[in-house]
Order: sequence, then C-alpha cells, then structure tokens
Amino acid sequence: MTNATLGAPRRVMADHDTVLAWIIAALLALGLVMVYSASIATAEAGKFTGYQPAYYLIRHATFILVGLLAGIVVFQVPTQTWQKLAPYLFLFGVVLLILVLIPGVGRAVNGSRRWLSLFVINLQPSELMKLFAVLYAADYAVRKGAVKDSLSKAFIPMFSVMALVGTLLLLEPDMGAFVVICAIAMGTLWLGGFNLKIFGGLIIALPVAFAALILSSPYRMQRVIGFMDPWSDPYGKGYQLSHALIAFGRGEWLGVGLGASVEKLFYLPEAHTDFLLAVIAEELGFFGVSAVIVLFGWLIVRAFSIGRQAAMVERLFAALVAQGIAVWLGVQAMINIGVNMGVLPTKGLTLPFLSFGGSGVVVNCIAIAVLLRIDYENRRVARGLPI
Amino acid sequence: MIQHSNSVQTNGQMALPPWRSRVLFVLLLAGLGGLLVRGIYLQGIHNDFLQQKGAARYSREIDINAHRGMISDRNGERLAISTPVESIWVSPQDVEATPKQVMQLALILGMNAEELRKRMFDTSRDFIYLKRQLPPEQAEKVVRLGISGVSLKREYRRYYPGGEVTSHLLGFTDVDDNGQEGIELALQSKLGGKAGSQRVIKDRRGHIVEDVASVRAPKEGSDIALSLDSKIQFLAFREIQQAVEQHKAKAGSIVVLDAKSGEVLALANWPSYNPNNRGKPNVNLLRNHAVTDLFEPGSTMKPFTVAAALELGKVTPNTIINTEHGVYAVGGRKIHDTHPEASLTVAQVIQKSSNVGASKIALSMKPEQFWHSLNENGFGSQTGCEFPGEAAGRLRDFAKWRPIEQATMSYGNGISVNLLQLARAYTVFANSGVMKTVTLLKQETPTVGVQVYSATTAHAVRDMLEMVVKPGGTAPLAQITGYRVAGKTGTAHKLEGGQYVNKYVASFVGLAPASNPRLIVAVMINEPGGAEYYGGQVAAPAFSNVMGASLRLLNVPNDAPLDNVMQPTPADLIAEEV
Repeated sequence: MTNATLGAPRRVMADHDTVLAWIIAALLALGLVMVYSASIATAEAGKFTGYQPAYYLIRHATFILVGLLAGIVVFQVPTQTWQKLAPYLFLFGVVLLILVLIPGVGRAVNGSRRWLSLFVINLQPSELMKLFAVLYAADYAVRKGAVKDSLSKAFIPMFSVMALVGTLLLLEPDMGAFVVICAIAMGTLWLGGFNLKIFGGLIIALPVAFAALILSSPYRMQRVIGFMDPWSDPYGKGYQLSHALIAFGRGEWLGVGLGASVEKLFYLPEAHTDFLLAVIAEELGFFGVSAVIVLFGWLIVRAFSIGRQAAMVERLFAALVAQGIAVWLGVQAMINIGVNMGVLPTKGLTLPFLSFGGSGVVVNCIAIAVLLRIDYENRRVARGLPI
Repeated sequence: MIQHSNSVQTNGQMALPPWRSRVLFVLLLAGLGGLLVRGIYLQGIHNDFLQQKGAARYSREIDINAHRGMISDRNGERLAISTPVESIWVSPQDVEATPKQVMQLALILGMNAEELRKRMFDTSRDFIYLKRQLPPEQAEKVVRLGISGVSLKREYRRYYPGGEVTSHLLGFTDVDDNGQEGIELALQSKLGGKAGSQRVIKDRRGHIVEDVASVRAPKEGSDIALSLDSKIQFLAFREIQQAVEQHKAKAGSIVVLDAKSGEVLALANWPSYNPNNRGKPNVNLLRNHAVTDLFEPGSTMKPFTVAAALELGKVTPNTIINTEHGVYAVGGRKIHDTHPEASLTVAQVIQKSSNVGASKIALSMKPEQFWHSLNENGFGSQTGCEFPGEAAGRLRDFAKWRPIEQATMSYGNGISVNLLQLARAYTVFANSGVMKTVTLLKQETPTVGVQVYSATTAHAVRDMLEMVVKPGGTAPLAQITGYRVAGKTGTAHKLEGGQYVNKYVASFVGLAPASNPRLIVAVMINEPGGAEYYGGQVAAPAFSNVMGASLRLLNVPNDAPLDNVMQPTPADLIAEEV
C-alpha cells in the first residue's frame, strides 16, 4: 500500500505506464527510419510518387502524427464508454467491411479490395475492425459470463458473428486480418474462462477449417506452397520470399549498414510495408531483428501486466481489452515476422507500428491509447481515486 | 483471488482464471522466442547459402575495356589515339520512359523517335545498344534525362590526327576496338591489351550500385612507336597526291626509307580516305597499294641486272656492249631501244636505259646465276615488314626461263614487285652491298642486313645511277639543289589479261646524298593519263621534291654546291625504253 500522505515519499507511483510509452516510441521511431530507408529507391524511381525520395517518409511521419493526436484524444475516453459503445462500433465496422466490397466505393490494389477512399485518405476498414473486435469480444465475454459453459449460448453467437466478418474479409480478400480477428475472439473467450472442453474441440476443428479455406482457393494455395520451398521456383511463386530470406542472410549479425540494403533496390516487393523486417534484417542484422522482437515481447509483457491488474480490481472488461490488444498486436507481429522469415505463408499483414500504412499506424496508436487509459484507471483505482 | 471456473457467480459478475492468462502469455512469448531462434539460424548459420543465392541474383561480372595503345611516329608525334566515349544501351525489360523522354532522347541521339521507341521497348532482347561511341558531353545529357533502364558503357574511340595522310599505313579499328587494317590489324595483340573484369552489385534495373571486387584488372594495350617521320610522311603524301592529280593518273604510291637502317620513314598512296569518318569507304580506297599491289618495275630493275653481272665478273662498268642500233632479236622476238645506239658502255646502258644493253648483259649470265642474285636481293619474296596483306613479289623459277624471258627480266618485264620491296632492294647501293630489312617500327639499335654484292659492285652501280639524273640521263628532273642524287627511272607497259597494253606504270627510285646515301625514295605512278608518262617526267619530279625537302628537314649536310642542278639541252633529253 502506498503511504504517500505519510512521511517523505520515497517513490511516487507515476500516473502512466511510461515504459509502455517508450516501447511504442522506439517502435515508431525505428519504423519511420526504416520505412524511409526501404522506400527511398522505389520512391525516387516511381512515377506514382512523383520521383520524390521522401514520398513515403513524409506520409508515414504524417500518419504517426495523426496516430499520436488520435491517441491523446482516445486517452480521454473512459473504458466504460468503450464498453457501452462496443456492440455499435462492431456493427459500424461490419458496415465498413460491406462498403469496401462495393465497386466504386472500395478501392482495389493488387487484386485486393481493402481500401475506402475518404477525401485524401484511404481508410482500411479491416485495421479498424481489429480494434472493434477486441472491444466487442471483451464486452461479449463479460455479458455472457453467466452462460460460459453453454455451447449454444456462449459459443455459437460468437461463431456466427465471426463467420460473417470472416466471409466479408475473405471477399476482399484479407486473409491476414481474418486470422488476427479470429485469434482475438478465441483469445478473449479463452481468457474469459469459457468452457474448456469446447475449447478442446475447437483446437481440433479450427485447423481443419483453415485447411479447407486454403485448399478451396488457388490464390491462397499458391501462397502456402510458395512458402514451403521458395527455392523451387525462386523467380516465380517463391520470388518475394526468396528475396526476403536473402536479405536476412546478407544482414548477418550486425547488418550491412543503414541505407546499404541491396534487396530494397527493386528486388524485394513491398519492402516498406509487409517486408520491412527483411530490410531491417539486411541493414541492421540480427541486432535489429532481435530488437524488434524484444520490443514486441516487452509490449506483450506490459499489456498482460495491465490486464492482470485490471482483473485484480475486478475490472473485467478492461482486463480482457488489455490482453486482447496484446493478443492482436502479438499475433500480428508474429505472423508478419514469421512470413518474413519464411516459417509462415505470405499473409499480407503489416508489422504493427513499423510498416508503412496509414490506417494500421493510426489504429495501432489508438489501441495503445486505450491500453494506457486502462492502466491509468487501474492506478486511480489503486489509489482509491474515482476513475 | 483464485477462483475456479466452475464456481458460482452469485453477484452476476465473473472472474477471469489467471492460469489461462498465463498460458496465453507464455504461448505468445514462446512464439516470439521461436522467431528469435529462426533469426539466429537465418542470419548466423544459413547465411552463406542465402548470400550465394543473393549474389547469383545481383552480383555480375562486367567487362572493363582495356585502353588501346597509342601509335606514334618515331619522334613521339601521335598518329592514333583512343579517346574515351560512352555507348548508350538499354535492357528493354527495365525501360520506363514517358513519350516525352523518348522524344528528348531521340533528339540528343539524332535518331528517329519512333524507331528509337521500338528498339527501347523490344522486350525480346536483353541488351540493345541505342547508340555507340557518343562524346562524353552528349552522354551526360542522356544521363540527365534520368530514364530508368538506360545505361552507359565506357568505350574507346580511335582518332587519327593524320587523317588521310596516314590512313593506309595505320589502318583503322572497328567499333569494338579491334584492328581491321594496316598496323592496327598487324599489331592488334600488342595494341589491344586485354579486357579486365570486375564484380559489381547491380540493382534490378541494371544500374551498378557497388563495386565489390576487381576480378581481373584490364591489361592496357602497349604504345607503339613507328619508324615513320610524320613530317616526311606529310611531304610524301602531298607530293604523291599532286603528282597523281597533275598527271591525271589512276593512283600513285611513295615510299621513303632510311637508307642506313631500312626503317620506313614515309609510306603513302593517293587516292586515300579519312579513317575518322565512320562511313565505310570504298574498298578500293582502303588498299595500301605500295605494299599490297604488285607491278612490273620496268627499267628500275636494270641496276640489279648490271650489279649481278659485275659481281660475277661478266662485265666491268666500262665494258662496251654492242647495242645493235636499237633492235635485238632473241628467240624470234625483238627487243627495242627507243633511243638507238651502235654501242654503249655498261654505265651508259644504265644512264640511257638501254633495253638491248641490259638484255645482253643478262644473257651473259647463266639463268641460275641471274636468278640467284635477284633472289638474294629479295625479289620474289615478302619484305618481312608484316604489313597485313603484303603481296610477295613474283620471280619465276629459272629452270623454266626461256632466253627471251631472261632478257626481258633484265629491264623489269616478266617480274613483279611491290613498291616497298623495290625500295628495299635499293638499300644495297646505300650500304656497300648490304640489303637492309625494312621495318615499320622504330629501331633503337643498328639494323643488320644481308651482304648481296661486294662494296665495289655496289659503289660502281651507284656511280652509274648518278649519271641517270645528269644531262644525258633519263631523269634530269630528279636533281636536287645541293645534293647529289643517284636513281633510276622506270616506265613499264601494264599487263591486262596477259597482254601488254598502252597503259603505263611510271616509277623512279633514288638515293641521296649519293656520296653517303641517307634516304631512299621510291615513287610509282599508276596509269598517268596525260601526255607525259615516262618515269623521268612523271615520277622524278615528285622524287626530287620529297627527297630534297626531307634531306633539308633532317639537316643532312650538302654534298654538292648549291648550283649543281644542270638544265639539260634538248639534245640531251632522252626518253627511256619501255
């Protein structure tokens, strides 16, 4: 117990989780530098970018700024408000996912219809949907607390919702977002203490369902086979992955030096987005890669810690949201890193906080703001202050 | 706070089982840990394999062109130099250019825009030159357009400061810097050097982003110093051009030798071509007639007939030869002198160029003796100067000679030479009977030769040759102020289809200063078309101009008073035999 009112305070507990803030600052800063490094050659040579080397740097910096401002605003919102809004936000997310599929409203890039054109900014609803899924799943778990052993009352409604969202996402297609949202939903139900036996069944059923999904689409099938052995067709299906792996190999322990990547010179597609880690690996070596992994690990540690503190003071929604965010960011980072390292099939998922992409960076910042708010409220509760 | 999952929630609240949180937490961290291990494997263990794969994709070995050696004259004057130029090439797969950029590029390269566009986007090819050998300033403009997929390659372009003056001797190189003609071809292996190679990293569009290592340094070509003296070369070229034009001749050649060393100081032909103009010149213009073409030398052979007979002791300079009043029948054919005499001394046979006299002297020898002497003097073989395409002279086997052939050979019919070979033969009269090897390369040490005649014979013939240019000889126009000249005229009918026709080759070969010869100049005029066609009229003046100017240029001391030139009286003017 703190005794701040008595005697000389040896250590005053901070109002915020400053460590978490520094982790995010480090990730954002590293991302900004590496997005610039990875994109400079393509930006300079591209007609689309108007031949400006700093094209992506300027935009990414702007997104980060917008993300930080959005975070400050979101930090003011009490967790309770999020809980009340959760179902409506989720519904709003579903509407956006439907809108994005309508030709003329949604914008397609590289065969995927993932973006909504809003004035100057292209919004990616699937990124928003991840945050909404965390909030919705947490609220759902709290509401269904009394019936958590019932398959029909606790599991089936969630599955139905997931099936709807999954269908919409696969129509884009955005397999990566679907995997992340599934992980969030399952993770939250797991944390919420839902029936163990049913989970046991799911552990068997889900892989089968995924296998069916993969086998049903030549596009997905091709991506999976490409990842199994990129060297069997290194100039075709294995092209992107083989170049990512070469970047890792070239980087060795300390990297070839910032700016010295060869892979980013038109060899590695999506160097500044999905395959940013490969450029980090080449330029900064295992030193850079391990820094990224450790930062994400630390982020997970902080998020779980905040979640458990909330659970201890019986703020269940907050506890589930905090850990849901950890699952979301942890799983997405892991998949992206795994794809870069050739242990997972190519998904089209960005590396949170680091990869270029407006919607992703802004939504990630908002999620951290929510997390920091939960922590802030935990501390208020611990001090006996009103939230 | 531990609650069991099956505990009853009395207040409608639920509790979160902490073990589940821990399981999920551990799973997530374990996943990240696994990725760390994978990172160690890729970056610390499997990296060699991956780097090899990478090298195969973007590391390339590229050629570095060797700088071609410079050709200079004996005084270091530059005759052929390589200047760096840039060639523009594209890899059509990588080309990204707006129509406007293509237009601008076409403008710089001076090409048709539509044609250029077709070549740039011809994706069936990996590598296409758009334009070769551009000056660096122009290439710089191309670079500034910044069209991706368009690259430069450093090459060297040959430049010949002497242009048409030295073109036949030097030859030229093709666009790939390989010698095609002349010295450029003959000394290709020395001049060309060896291209090196370099390992570089290229980006996917073919631009070099990093020099990794020099695999093999280029071996630069060696510089070559020719025996040529460019001032004399220029003189010789100008005079041969003038002589050909003045006498409306088909062509002309001139050779200037250092009489003592056999080095070629000048070698020129007219008509010529300018090797700096890249358009393909007429093939006939490319021929270095002085070396690659044979002609029947006519009376310029007579000194060798006389020398052979003197050497064998068949005659002395003062032996009287019955010249039969200008008509002499051998084996049913008649040999004529245009200037009939009852009799002449051997020296006069040379001076007045008597065919009858020369024939009689030739017939005084056995065929093999005459053949042997000519053969030793280099007739019938190449000079060994290694000029590409040199024609070997023709000297038929003595076993098949008929007397008439032996007779006509004495005055240069039925035998053929190239001009360089004829000039070489005259070195015997400058070196006390030693024939020097001719060479196109500058010699640092004294050259050796073959003793063909005794010094006495050589000096005796040289004295006779001096009489040729004096009044009463066939070539008074060959005289030079301040220097004594020894030489011989030649005028030969041309052979066309095995028949002698009324077309002529006029020639003059001479040495000066006669007291101690320093230079040999041989002039040959092919088919003079004007009224004059005798060697003494057509070739001798060119000889005189070149020899005189060259001797003065080399500061050769006079061996005659400056009023030595004697104008012949009309009675003295004689035409030589043809």
